[in-house]
Amino acid sequence: MTSEGVTFSVPDAPLRSPSRRHGVTLVFLGPALTVLVLLLVYPVLSSIWLSLTNASLSAGRLETPFVWFDNYAALISDKAAHNALFNTLYFAVVEVVGVVVLGLLTALLLNHPMARWSGFRVLLLLPWAIAPVANAVLWKWIFHSNYGILNSLLVGSGVIEKNITWFGNSFVALNMVLLVDIWKSTPFIAILLLAALQNIPQSLYRAARIDGANGWQSFRYITLPLLKTAIAIAVILQTIWSLRTFDLIFILTKGGPADGTVVMNFLAYRVTFNFLEFGYGAAIANVIFMTSLMLAIIYVRLMKPGALT
Amino acid sequence: MKKAYGLLKQTGVVLSLVVFVLVAAAPIAWLLLSSVLQQQALISTPPDLSLSSFTLENYTAVFGSAAQLGRGIFNSLVISIATTALAILLGAPAAYALARLDIRHADTILLMVLAAQMFPAIVIAIPLFITASKLGLIDTKINLILIYLSFNLPVVIWVLRGFFTGLPTGLERAARMDGATIYQTFRLVILPISLPPLFAAAIFAFIEAWNEFFFALIMTRQAAQTVPLVISAFAGQYQTVFGQMMAAAAISVAPIIILTIILRNSILRGFADGMLKG
Repeated sequence: MTSEGVTFSVPDAPLRSPSRRHGVTLVFLGPALTVLVLLLVYPVLSSIWLSLTNASLSAGRLETPFVWFDNYAALISDKAAHNALFNTLYFAVVEVVGVVVLGLLTALLLNHPMARWSGFRVLLLLPWAIAPVANAVLWKWIFHSNYGILNSLLVGSGVIEKNITWFGNSFVALNMVLLVDIWKSTPFIAILLLAALQNIPQSLYRAARIDGANGWQSFRYITLPLLKTAIAIAVILQTIWSLRTFDLIFILTKGGPADGTVVMNFLAYRVTFNFLEFGYGAAIANVIFMTSLMLAIIYVRLMKPGALT
Repeated sequence: MKKAYGLLKQTGVVLSLVVFVLVAAAPIAWLLLSSVLQQQALISTPPDLSLSSFTLENYTAVFGSAAQLGRGIFNSLVISIATTALAILLGAPAAYALARLDIRHADTILLMVLAAQMFPAIVIAIPLFITASKLGLIDTKINLILIYLSFNLPVVIWVLRGFFTGLPTGLERAARMDGATIYQTFRLVILPISLPPLFAAAIFAFIEAWNEFFFALIMTRQAAQTVPLVISAFAGQYQTVFGQMMAAAAISVAPIIILTIILRNSILRGFADGMLKG
Protein backbone atom coordinates (compact mmCIF):
# COMPACT_ATOMS: atom_id res chain seq x y z
CA MET A 1 0.00 0.00 0.00
CA THR A 2 2.67 2.42 1.01
CA SER A 3 6.39 2.57 1.25
CA GLU A 4 6.57 4.78 4.29
CA GLY A 5 5.21 4.32 7.75
CA VAL A 6 4.98 6.98 10.42
CA THR A 7 8.12 8.85 9.41
CA PHE A 8 9.06 12.47 9.04
CA SER A 9 10.61 14.39 6.22
CA VAL A 10 12.55 17.17 7.81
CA PRO A 11 13.66 19.95 5.47
CA ASP A 12 17.36 20.12 4.81
CA ALA A 13 17.87 23.20 6.94
CA PRO A 14 16.18 22.56 10.26
CA LEU A 15 15.90 25.36 12.73
CA ARG A 16 19.21 25.44 14.48
CA SER A 17 18.90 27.00 17.89
CA PRO A 18 17.15 24.61 20.29
CA SER A 19 15.44 27.38 22.22
CA ARG A 20 14.01 28.92 19.06
CA ARG A 21 12.93 25.54 17.90
CA HIS A 22 10.98 25.00 21.10
CA GLY A 23 9.34 28.38 20.63
CA VAL A 24 8.22 27.47 17.13
CA THR A 25 6.92 24.07 18.22
CA LEU A 26 5.00 25.71 21.01
CA VAL A 27 3.34 28.21 18.68
CA PHE A 28 2.42 25.64 16.02
CA LEU A 29 1.52 22.67 18.16
CA GLY A 30 0.72 24.11 21.58
CA PRO A 31 -2.86 25.29 21.06
CA ALA A 32 -4.04 22.10 19.34
CA LEU A 33 -2.31 19.93 21.90
CA THR A 34 -3.85 21.87 24.79
CA VAL A 35 -7.32 21.39 23.32
CA LEU A 36 -6.75 17.66 22.76
CA VAL A 37 -5.49 17.20 26.31
CA LEU A 38 -8.50 19.05 27.76
CA LEU A 39 -11.05 17.29 25.55
CA LEU A 40 -9.57 13.79 25.41
CA VAL A 41 -6.80 13.04 27.87
CA TYR A 42 -8.40 14.69 30.87
CA PRO A 43 -11.87 13.14 30.29
CA VAL A 44 -10.39 9.67 29.77
CA LEU A 45 -8.43 9.88 33.03
CA SER A 46 -11.41 11.39 34.76
CA SER A 47 -13.68 8.63 33.56
CA ILE A 48 -11.26 5.99 34.87
CA TRP A 49 -11.37 7.71 38.26
CA LEU A 50 -15.16 8.06 38.11
CA SER A 51 -15.49 4.33 37.46
CA LEU A 52 -13.85 3.74 40.85
CA THR A 53 -16.49 5.81 42.63
CA ASN A 54 -20.23 5.71 43.13
CA ALA A 55 -20.53 9.14 41.56
CA SER A 56 -24.02 10.57 41.34
CA LEU A 57 -25.34 14.00 40.58
CA SER A 58 -27.73 15.33 43.20
CA ALA A 59 -29.05 18.88 43.01
CA GLY A 60 -26.23 19.92 40.71
CA ARG A 61 -23.59 18.68 43.14
CA LEU A 62 -21.40 15.74 42.30
CA GLU A 63 -20.94 13.23 45.11
CA THR A 64 -18.06 10.83 44.56
CA PRO A 65 -17.66 8.22 47.30
CA PHE A 66 -14.70 6.03 46.43
CA VAL A 67 -15.57 2.32 46.07
CA TRP A 68 -12.46 0.80 44.45
CA PHE A 69 -13.47 -1.89 41.95
CA ASP A 70 -17.04 -2.39 43.11
CA ASN A 71 -18.47 -1.15 39.81
CA TYR A 72 -16.39 -3.62 37.84
CA ALA A 73 -17.33 -6.41 40.24
CA ALA A 74 -20.99 -5.44 39.81
CA LEU A 75 -20.53 -5.60 36.05
CA ILE A 76 -19.51 -9.26 36.29
CA SER A 77 -22.71 -10.28 38.04
CA ASP A 78 -25.09 -7.86 36.29
CA LYS A 79 -27.62 -9.71 34.09
CA ALA A 80 -28.29 -6.55 32.04
CA ALA A 81 -24.57 -6.28 31.32
CA HIS A 82 -24.36 -9.94 30.26
CA ASN A 83 -27.24 -9.39 27.88
CA ALA A 84 -25.60 -6.24 26.49
CA LEU A 85 -22.27 -7.99 26.12
CA PHE A 86 -23.86 -10.87 24.23
CA ASN A 87 -25.75 -8.45 21.95
CA THR A 88 -22.57 -6.44 21.35
CA LEU A 89 -20.54 -9.54 20.41
CA TYR A 90 -23.24 -10.80 18.07
CA PHE A 91 -23.65 -7.33 16.57
CA ALA A 92 -19.93 -6.80 16.08
CA VAL A 93 -19.26 -10.22 14.51
CA VAL A 94 -22.20 -10.13 12.09
CA GLU A 95 -21.58 -6.50 11.18
CA VAL A 96 -17.85 -6.91 10.55
CA VAL A 97 -18.29 -10.06 8.47
CA GLY A 98 -21.22 -8.55 6.56
CA VAL A 99 -19.60 -5.19 5.93
CA VAL A 100 -16.18 -6.52 4.93
CA VAL A 101 -17.55 -9.23 2.63
CA LEU A 102 -20.08 -6.90 0.99
CA GLY A 103 -17.51 -4.09 0.91
CA LEU A 104 -15.01 -6.34 -0.86
CA LEU A 105 -17.60 -7.53 -3.38
CA THR A 106 -18.66 -3.93 -4.05
CA ALA A 107 -15.05 -2.80 -4.44
CA LEU A 108 -14.31 -5.65 -6.87
CA LEU A 109 -17.45 -4.81 -8.83
CA LEU A 110 -16.66 -1.11 -9.07
CA ASN A 111 -13.07 -1.88 -10.02
CA HIS A 112 -14.33 -3.79 -13.07
CA PRO A 113 -13.67 -1.97 -16.38
CA MET A 114 -17.41 -1.95 -17.13
CA ALA A 115 -18.16 -0.16 -13.84
CA ARG A 116 -15.72 2.72 -14.10
CA TRP A 117 -18.46 5.35 -14.58
CA SER A 118 -18.02 7.83 -11.75
CA GLY A 119 -21.77 7.92 -11.11
CA PHE A 120 -21.49 4.51 -9.46
CA ARG A 121 -18.99 5.89 -7.01
CA VAL A 122 -21.17 8.86 -6.15
CA LEU A 123 -24.01 6.41 -5.56
CA LEU A 124 -21.73 4.42 -3.28
CA LEU A 125 -21.10 7.55 -1.21
CA LEU A 126 -24.78 8.29 -0.60
CA PRO A 127 -25.57 5.78 2.16
CA TRP A 128 -22.34 6.84 3.85
CA ALA A 129 -23.12 10.55 3.63
CA ILE A 130 -26.76 10.48 4.73
CA ALA A 131 -27.08 11.78 8.30
CA PRO A 132 -27.34 8.90 10.82
CA VAL A 133 -30.49 10.33 12.36
CA ALA A 134 -32.26 10.90 9.04
CA ASN A 135 -31.18 7.41 8.05
CA ALA A 136 -32.66 5.90 11.21
CA VAL A 137 -35.92 7.81 10.72
CA LEU A 138 -36.07 6.60 7.12
CA TRP A 139 -35.67 2.94 8.09
CA LYS A 140 -38.21 3.30 10.87
CA TRP A 141 -40.67 4.20 8.13
CA ILE A 142 -39.50 1.40 5.82
CA PHE A 143 -39.92 -1.14 8.65
CA HIS A 144 -43.27 0.24 9.83
CA SER A 145 -45.41 -2.79 10.69
CA ASN A 146 -48.66 -1.55 9.12
CA TYR A 147 -47.67 0.79 6.30
CA GLY A 148 -43.94 0.18 5.79
CA ILE A 149 -42.75 -0.46 2.26
CA LEU A 150 -40.85 -3.59 3.32
CA ASN A 151 -44.02 -5.36 4.40
CA SER A 152 -45.86 -4.08 1.30
CA LEU A 153 -43.18 -5.47 -0.97
CA LEU A 154 -42.86 -8.81 0.82
CA VAL A 155 -46.61 -9.37 1.05
CA GLY A 156 -47.16 -8.09 -2.49
CA SER A 157 -44.61 -10.50 -3.93
CA GLY A 158 -45.93 -13.38 -1.86
CA VAL A 159 -42.77 -13.94 0.19
CA ILE A 160 -44.73 -13.56 3.43
CA GLU A 161 -48.46 -13.88 3.99
CA LYS A 162 -49.12 -11.14 6.49
CA ASN A 163 -47.25 -8.14 7.83
CA ILE A 164 -44.38 -8.75 10.21
CA THR A 165 -43.81 -6.56 13.27
CA TRP A 166 -40.07 -6.18 12.69
CA PHE A 167 -39.35 -4.75 16.11
CA GLY A 168 -41.70 -7.06 18.01
CA ASN A 169 -39.19 -9.82 18.67
CA SER A 170 -35.78 -9.26 20.28
CA PHE A 171 -33.73 -11.34 17.89
CA VAL A 172 -35.48 -10.10 14.75
CA ALA A 173 -35.17 -6.50 15.97
CA LEU A 174 -31.42 -6.88 16.55
CA ASN A 175 -30.99 -8.27 13.05
CA MET A 176 -33.04 -5.48 11.49
CA VAL A 177 -30.83 -2.90 13.23
CA LEU A 178 -27.82 -4.83 11.92
CA LEU A 179 -29.22 -4.80 8.39
CA VAL A 180 -29.48 -1.01 8.43
CA ASP A 181 -26.06 -0.57 9.98
CA ILE A 182 -24.47 -2.87 7.40
CA TRP A 183 -26.17 -0.91 4.61
CA LYS A 184 -24.84 2.33 6.06
CA SER A 185 -21.32 1.11 6.86
CA THR A 186 -20.48 -0.92 3.76
CA PRO A 187 -19.78 2.07 1.46
CA PHE A 188 -16.84 3.40 3.47
CA ILE A 189 -15.16 0.00 3.65
CA ALA A 190 -15.84 -0.48 -0.07
CA ILE A 191 -14.17 2.89 -0.79
CA LEU A 192 -11.21 1.90 1.35
CA LEU A 193 -10.82 -1.47 -0.36
CA LEU A 194 -11.35 0.11 -3.77
CA ALA A 195 -8.45 2.47 -3.05
CA ALA A 196 -6.31 -0.53 -2.09
CA LEU A 197 -7.38 -2.44 -5.23
CA GLN A 198 -6.34 0.46 -7.43
CA ASN A 199 -2.87 0.40 -5.90
CA ILE A 200 -2.26 -3.10 -7.26
CA PRO A 201 -0.14 -2.79 -10.41
CA GLN A 202 -1.99 -3.97 -13.52
CA SER A 203 1.23 -5.55 -14.79
CA LEU A 204 0.82 -8.33 -12.24
CA TYR A 205 -2.49 -9.34 -13.80
CA ARG A 206 -1.07 -9.14 -17.30
CA ALA A 207 1.82 -11.38 -16.29
CA ALA A 208 -0.57 -13.84 -14.67
CA ARG A 209 -2.70 -13.96 -17.81
CA ILE A 210 0.35 -14.69 -19.92
CA ASP A 211 1.17 -17.52 -17.55
CA GLY A 212 -2.33 -18.89 -18.17
CA ALA A 213 -4.01 -17.97 -14.89
CA ASN A 214 -7.80 -17.72 -14.95
CA GLY A 215 -9.87 -15.03 -13.21
CA TRP A 216 -10.28 -16.94 -9.98
CA GLN A 217 -6.57 -17.76 -9.79
CA SER A 218 -5.66 -14.09 -10.37
CA PHE A 219 -7.99 -13.14 -7.55
CA ARG A 220 -6.79 -15.88 -5.22
CA TYR A 221 -3.05 -15.47 -5.80
CA ILE A 222 -2.68 -11.75 -6.64
CA THR A 223 -5.64 -9.71 -5.38
CA LEU A 224 -6.25 -11.39 -2.03
CA PRO A 225 -2.63 -11.52 -0.84
CA LEU A 226 -2.07 -7.89 -1.81
CA LEU A 227 -5.31 -6.82 -0.14
CA LYS A 228 -4.48 -8.66 3.07
CA THR A 229 -3.38 -5.57 5.00
CA ALA A 230 -6.25 -3.43 3.72
CA ILE A 231 -8.77 -6.12 4.67
CA ALA A 232 -7.22 -6.43 8.13
CA ILE A 233 -7.47 -2.65 8.54
CA ALA A 234 -11.09 -2.78 7.41
CA VAL A 235 -11.87 -5.49 9.96
CA ILE A 236 -10.29 -3.55 12.82
CA LEU A 237 -11.85 -0.20 11.91
CA GLN A 238 -15.28 -1.71 11.44
CA THR A 239 -15.03 -3.53 14.77
CA ILE A 240 -14.19 -0.26 16.52
CA TRP A 241 -17.05 1.51 14.75
CA SER A 242 -19.54 -1.26 15.49
CA LEU A 243 -18.83 -0.76 19.21
CA ARG A 244 -19.95 2.87 18.86
CA THR A 245 -23.39 2.19 17.34
CA PHE A 246 -25.85 4.45 19.11
CA ASP A 247 -28.01 6.74 16.96
CA LEU A 248 -29.64 3.87 15.11
CA ILE A 249 -30.59 1.96 18.25
CA PHE A 250 -31.77 5.10 20.03
CA ILE A 251 -34.18 5.98 17.22
CA LEU A 252 -35.25 2.57 15.94
CA THR A 253 -35.77 0.60 19.13
CA LYS A 254 -34.60 2.54 22.23
CA GLY A 255 -32.97 -0.74 23.20
CA GLY A 256 -36.18 -2.79 23.07
CA PRO A 257 -38.02 -5.02 22.81
CA ALA A 258 -37.14 -6.56 26.20
CA ASP A 259 -33.61 -5.09 25.98
CA GLY A 260 -33.04 -7.18 22.86
CA THR A 261 -31.11 -4.38 21.12
CA VAL A 262 -29.23 -3.00 24.13
CA VAL A 263 -25.52 -3.09 23.31
CA MET A 264 -22.74 -2.06 25.72
CA ASN A 265 -22.57 1.49 24.37
CA PHE A 266 -26.32 1.95 24.77
CA LEU A 267 -26.25 0.41 28.23
CA ALA A 268 -23.53 2.85 29.32
CA TYR A 269 -25.65 5.74 28.02
CA ARG A 270 -28.77 4.52 29.78
CA VAL A 271 -27.07 3.79 33.09
CA THR A 272 -25.38 7.19 33.06
CA PHE A 273 -27.92 9.57 31.64
CA ASN A 274 -31.24 7.89 32.46
CA PHE A 275 -30.42 6.21 35.77
CA LEU A 276 -27.79 8.87 36.65
CA GLU A 277 -25.35 6.24 37.97
CA PHE A 278 -22.22 7.99 36.73
CA GLY A 279 -19.73 5.63 38.36
CA TYR A 280 -21.26 2.45 36.99
CA GLY A 281 -21.82 4.05 33.59
CA ALA A 282 -18.16 5.10 33.50
CA ALA A 283 -17.10 1.53 34.30
CA ILE A 284 -19.08 0.19 31.32
CA ALA A 285 -17.73 3.00 29.12
CA ASN A 286 -14.20 2.10 30.16
CA VAL A 287 -14.65 -1.52 29.13
CA ILE A 288 -15.66 -0.30 25.66
CA PHE A 289 -12.78 2.16 25.66
CA MET A 290 -10.15 -0.43 26.60
CA THR A 291 -11.42 -2.78 23.90
CA SER A 292 -11.31 0.01 21.31
CA LEU A 293 -7.85 1.04 22.46
CA MET A 294 -6.45 -2.45 21.99
CA LEU A 295 -7.99 -2.63 18.53
CA ALA A 296 -6.58 0.82 17.72
CA ILE A 297 -3.10 -0.36 18.67
CA ILE A 298 -3.44 -3.31 16.30
CA TYR A 299 -4.64 -0.89 13.62
CA VAL A 300 -1.59 1.35 14.03
CA ARG A 301 0.69 -1.67 13.76
CA LEU A 302 -1.10 -2.76 10.58
CA MET A 303 -0.56 0.63 8.96
CA LYS A 304 3.19 0.20 9.20
CA PRO A 305 4.54 -1.29 5.98
CA GLY A 306 4.71 -5.04 5.74
CA ALA A 307 2.95 -5.48 9.06
CA LEU A 308 1.18 -8.62 7.99
CA THR A 309 3.68 -10.08 5.58
CA MET B 1 -17.16 -21.23 -26.19
CA LYS B 2 -14.81 -18.61 -24.88
CA LYS B 3 -17.02 -15.90 -26.35
CA ALA B 4 -20.11 -17.32 -24.67
CA TYR B 5 -18.26 -17.36 -21.36
CA GLY B 6 -17.28 -13.72 -21.82
CA LEU B 7 -20.86 -12.79 -22.56
CA LEU B 8 -22.01 -14.63 -19.46
CA LYS B 9 -19.46 -12.78 -17.40
CA GLN B 10 -20.54 -9.42 -18.81
CA THR B 11 -24.15 -10.22 -18.02
CA GLY B 12 -23.09 -11.08 -14.50
CA VAL B 13 -21.35 -7.73 -14.08
CA VAL B 14 -24.35 -5.83 -15.43
CA LEU B 15 -26.74 -7.73 -13.17
CA SER B 16 -24.50 -7.09 -10.15
CA LEU B 17 -24.43 -3.41 -11.02
CA VAL B 18 -28.22 -3.32 -11.20
CA VAL B 19 -28.44 -4.93 -7.75
CA PHE B 20 -25.83 -2.51 -6.43
CA VAL B 21 -27.66 0.54 -7.76
CA LEU B 22 -30.97 -0.70 -6.36
CA VAL B 23 -29.61 -1.47 -2.91
CA ALA B 24 -27.67 1.79 -2.63
CA ALA B 25 -30.28 4.12 -4.08
CA ALA B 26 -33.70 2.60 -3.39
CA PRO B 27 -33.95 3.56 0.31
CA ILE B 28 -32.89 7.13 -0.41
CA ALA B 29 -35.21 7.32 -3.41
CA TRP B 30 -38.04 6.11 -1.16
CA LEU B 31 -37.14 8.84 1.35
CA LEU B 32 -37.46 11.54 -1.29
CA LEU B 33 -40.55 9.99 -2.88
CA SER B 34 -42.35 9.63 0.47
CA SER B 35 -41.64 13.25 1.27
CA VAL B 36 -43.69 14.43 -1.71
CA LEU B 37 -46.62 12.02 -1.34
CA GLN B 38 -49.87 12.60 0.50
CA GLN B 39 -50.56 10.62 3.69
CA GLN B 40 -53.46 8.77 2.05
CA ALA B 41 -51.21 7.64 -0.81
CA LEU B 42 -48.55 6.42 1.59
CA ILE B 43 -50.82 4.28 3.74
CA SER B 44 -52.54 2.50 0.88
CA THR B 45 -51.12 -0.86 -0.22
CA PRO B 46 -49.40 -0.68 -2.59
CA PRO B 47 -48.58 3.04 -2.22
CA ASP B 48 -50.66 5.12 -4.61
CA LEU B 49 -48.22 6.68 -7.06
CA SER B 50 -50.76 8.37 -9.32
CA LEU B 51 -49.98 11.95 -10.28
CA SER B 52 -52.69 13.40 -8.04
CA SER B 53 -51.00 11.97 -4.93
CA PHE B 54 -47.99 14.22 -5.24
CA THR B 55 -47.80 17.28 -3.02
CA LEU B 56 -45.36 19.73 -1.49
CA GLU B 57 -47.55 20.15 1.59
CA ASN B 58 -45.29 17.94 3.71
CA TYR B 59 -42.50 20.46 3.40
CA THR B 60 -44.63 23.50 4.17
CA ALA B 61 -46.24 21.60 7.05
CA VAL B 62 -42.86 20.67 8.54
CA PHE B 63 -41.74 24.26 8.59
CA GLY B 64 -45.14 25.29 9.92
CA SER B 65 -45.52 22.74 12.70
CA ALA B 66 -41.86 22.65 13.71
CA ALA B 67 -40.73 26.12 14.66
CA GLN B 68 -37.91 24.13 16.27
CA LEU B 69 -36.56 23.24 12.85
CA GLY B 70 -35.72 26.83 11.98
CA ARG B 71 -33.85 27.28 15.24
CA GLY B 72 -32.25 23.85 14.80
CA ILE B 73 -30.91 24.78 11.38
CA PHE B 74 -29.58 28.07 12.75
CA ASN B 75 -27.93 26.32 15.71
CA SER B 76 -26.47 23.60 13.51
CA LEU B 77 -25.05 26.16 11.10
CA VAL B 78 -23.46 28.27 13.85
CA ILE B 79 -22.04 25.24 15.68
CA SER B 80 -20.79 23.45 12.56
CA ILE B 81 -19.15 26.53 11.05
CA ALA B 82 -17.54 27.62 14.31
CA THR B 83 -16.17 24.22 15.21
CA THR B 84 -14.87 23.74 11.67
CA ALA B 85 -13.14 27.13 11.69
CA LEU B 86 -11.52 26.37 15.05
CA ALA B 87 -10.46 22.89 13.93
CA ILE B 88 -8.71 24.33 10.85
CA LEU B 89 -7.19 27.25 12.76
CA LEU B 90 -5.71 24.98 15.43
CA GLY B 91 -5.20 21.91 13.26
CA ALA B 92 -3.36 23.31 10.25
CA PRO B 93 -0.30 24.64 12.16
CA ALA B 94 -0.23 21.50 14.29
CA ALA B 95 -0.32 19.30 11.20
CA TYR B 96 2.47 21.34 9.63
CA ALA B 97 4.59 21.04 12.76
CA LEU B 98 4.05 17.28 12.88
CA ALA B 99 4.92 16.94 9.20
CA ARG B 100 7.97 19.19 9.08
CA LEU B 101 9.43 20.09 12.45
CA ASP B 102 11.73 17.88 14.42
CA ILE B 103 9.49 17.30 17.42
CA ARG B 104 10.21 15.18 20.44
CA HIS B 105 7.56 12.53 21.17
CA ALA B 106 6.05 13.17 17.74
CA ASP B 107 5.20 9.47 17.49
CA THR B 108 3.25 9.59 20.73
CA ILE B 109 1.38 12.71 19.63
CA LEU B 110 0.51 11.15 16.29
CA LEU B 111 -0.65 7.99 17.97
CA MET B 112 -2.91 10.07 20.19
CA VAL B 113 -4.27 11.97 17.19
CA LEU B 114 -5.01 8.72 15.43
CA ALA B 115 -6.51 6.97 18.45
CA ALA B 116 -8.64 10.03 19.17
CA GLN B 117 -10.56 9.40 15.96
CA MET B 118 -11.62 6.03 17.31
CA PHE B 119 -12.60 6.90 20.86
CA PRO B 120 -16.04 5.70 21.82
CA ALA B 121 -17.78 9.02 22.54
CA ILE B 122 -19.37 7.66 25.71
CA VAL B 123 -16.03 7.47 27.54
CA ILE B 124 -15.38 11.21 27.27
CA ALA B 125 -19.07 12.14 27.38
CA ILE B 126 -19.51 11.37 31.07
CA PRO B 127 -16.71 13.62 32.46
CA LEU B 128 -17.47 16.31 29.87
CA PHE B 129 -21.11 16.30 30.91
CA ILE B 130 -20.13 16.73 34.55
CA THR B 131 -17.71 19.55 33.71
CA ALA B 132 -20.27 21.28 31.48
CA SER B 133 -22.88 21.03 34.24
CA LYS B 134 -20.51 22.59 36.76
CA LEU B 135 -19.65 25.42 34.37
CA GLY B 136 -23.28 25.99 33.44
CA LEU B 137 -22.59 25.17 29.79
CA ILE B 138 -25.41 22.66 29.30
CA ASP B 139 -27.69 23.71 26.43
CA THR B 140 -25.25 26.29 25.05
CA LYS B 141 -23.82 26.42 21.54
CA ILE B 142 -20.28 27.13 22.75
CA ASN B 143 -20.29 23.82 24.62
CA LEU B 144 -20.96 21.78 21.46
CA ILE B 145 -18.55 23.93 19.44
CA LEU B 146 -15.75 22.97 21.83
CA ILE B 147 -16.75 19.34 22.30
CA TYR B 148 -16.94 18.74 18.55
CA LEU B 149 -13.26 19.64 18.40
CA SER B 150 -12.62 16.34 20.18
CA PHE B 151 -13.28 14.45 16.95
CA ASN B 152 -12.80 17.15 14.31
CA LEU B 153 -9.40 18.42 15.39
CA PRO B 154 -7.76 14.95 15.18
CA VAL B 155 -9.26 14.33 11.74
CA VAL B 156 -8.12 17.71 10.43
CA ILE B 157 -4.60 17.21 11.80
CA TRP B 158 -4.41 13.72 10.35
CA VAL B 159 -5.60 14.66 6.86
CA LEU B 160 -3.48 17.82 6.61
CA ARG B 161 -0.38 16.15 8.03
CA GLY B 162 -0.64 13.59 5.23
CA PHE B 163 -0.78 16.41 2.71
CA PHE B 164 2.07 18.48 4.19
CA THR B 165 4.31 15.42 4.43
CA GLY B 166 3.82 14.80 0.72
CA LEU B 167 4.80 18.35 -0.31
CA PRO B 168 8.25 18.74 -1.85
CA THR B 169 10.55 20.73 0.44
CA GLY B 170 11.97 22.94 -2.31
CA LEU B 171 9.55 25.81 -1.79
CA GLU B 172 10.29 25.99 1.90
CA ARG B 173 14.03 25.94 1.33
CA ALA B 174 13.72 28.71 -1.24
CA ALA B 175 11.61 30.80 1.15
CA ARG B 176 14.10 30.31 3.93
CA MET B 177 16.98 31.33 1.69
CA ASP B 178 15.06 34.51 0.91
CA GLY B 179 15.14 35.18 4.66
CA ALA B 180 11.57 34.23 5.51
CA THR B 181 10.91 33.06 9.06
CA ILE B 182 9.13 29.79 9.52
CA TYR B 183 5.93 31.66 10.38
CA GLN B 184 6.11 33.64 7.14
CA THR B 185 6.90 30.48 5.19
CA PHE B 186 3.86 28.76 6.63
CA ARG B 187 1.52 31.69 6.14
CA LEU B 188 2.70 33.01 2.78
CA VAL B 189 4.05 29.93 1.03
CA ILE B 190 2.47 26.80 2.45
CA LEU B 191 -1.09 27.88 3.23
CA PRO B 192 -1.82 29.38 -0.22
CA ILE B 193 -0.89 26.13 -1.99
CA SER B 194 -2.82 24.06 0.58
CA LEU B 195 -6.25 25.49 -0.10
CA PRO B 196 -7.77 22.36 -1.73
CA PRO B 197 -6.89 19.99 1.15
CA LEU B 198 -7.81 22.68 3.69
CA PHE B 199 -11.17 23.00 2.00
CA ALA B 200 -11.71 19.23 1.89
CA ALA B 201 -10.79 18.86 5.57
CA ALA B 202 -13.12 21.72 6.45
CA ILE B 203 -16.05 20.19 4.58
CA PHE B 204 -15.42 16.86 6.25
CA ALA B 205 -15.39 18.50 9.69
CA PHE B 206 -18.54 20.43 8.82
CA ILE B 207 -20.39 17.25 7.81
CA GLU B 208 -19.34 15.44 10.98
CA ALA B 209 -20.55 18.33 13.13
CA TRP B 210 -23.78 18.74 11.17
CA ASN B 211 -24.63 15.03 11.56
CA GLU B 212 -23.57 14.60 15.20
CA PHE B 213 -26.29 13.29 17.49
CA PHE B 214 -24.90 11.68 20.64
CA PHE B 215 -23.28 14.72 22.30
CA ALA B 216 -26.12 16.97 21.15
CA LEU B 217 -28.58 14.60 22.83
CA ILE B 218 -26.72 14.69 26.13
CA MET B 219 -25.63 18.32 26.19
CA THR B 220 -28.68 20.23 24.92
CA ARG B 221 -32.21 20.67 26.18
CA GLN B 222 -34.03 23.30 24.11
CA ALA B 223 -32.16 26.46 23.20
CA ALA B 224 -29.10 24.84 21.59
CA GLN B 225 -30.81 21.85 19.94
CA THR B 226 -29.33 20.94 16.57
CA VAL B 227 -31.03 19.56 13.46
CA PRO B 228 -30.53 15.84 14.24
CA LEU B 229 -32.24 16.32 17.61
CA VAL B 230 -35.13 18.22 16.09
CA ILE B 231 -35.57 15.50 13.47
CA SER B 232 -35.42 12.77 16.10
CA ALA B 233 -37.95 14.57 18.31
CA PHE B 234 -40.15 15.28 15.31
CA ALA B 235 -40.08 11.63 14.25
CA GLY B 236 -41.04 10.60 17.76
CA GLN B 237 -43.86 13.10 18.02
CA TYR B 238 -45.35 12.85 14.52
CA GLN B 239 -44.46 9.25 13.83
CA THR B 240 -47.72 8.57 12.05
CA VAL B 241 -47.40 11.53 9.69
CA PHE B 242 -45.01 9.69 7.42
CA GLY B 243 -44.73 12.22 4.62
CA GLN B 244 -43.77 15.02 7.01
CA MET B 245 -41.32 12.76 8.79
CA MET B 246 -39.58 12.08 5.48
CA ALA B 247 -39.71 15.75 4.49
CA ALA B 248 -37.95 16.63 7.75
CA ALA B 249 -35.35 13.94 7.11
CA ALA B 250 -34.87 15.13 3.53
CA ILE B 251 -34.26 18.69 4.70
CA SER B 252 -31.51 17.54 7.07
CA VAL B 253 -29.89 15.34 4.45
CA ALA B 254 -29.98 17.68 1.47
CA PRO B 255 -26.98 19.90 2.26
CA ILE B 256 -24.78 16.89 3.01
CA ILE B 257 -25.77 15.03 -0.15
CA ILE B 258 -24.99 18.13 -2.22
CA LEU B 259 -21.60 18.61 -0.52
CA THR B 260 -20.78 14.94 -1.00
CA ILE B 261 -21.54 15.04 -4.71
CA ILE B 262 -19.45 18.19 -5.17
CA LEU B 263 -16.54 16.78 -3.16
CA ARG B 264 -16.72 13.14 -4.24
CA ASN B 265 -13.17 13.12 -5.57
CA SER B 266 -11.45 14.44 -2.47
CA ILE B 267 -13.51 12.08 -0.33
CA LEU B 268 -12.81 9.07 -2.51
CA ARG B 269 -9.09 9.75 -2.73
CA GLY B 270 -8.15 11.66 0.40
CA PHE B 271 -9.96 9.86 3.16
CA ALA B 272 -9.71 6.28 1.98
CA ASP B 273 -5.98 6.68 1.42
CA GLY B 274 -5.59 8.41 4.77
CA MET B 275 -7.08 5.45 6.58
CA LEU B 276 -4.69 3.02 4.89
CA LYS B 277 -1.43 4.90 5.28
CA GLY B 278 0.56 6.13 8.20
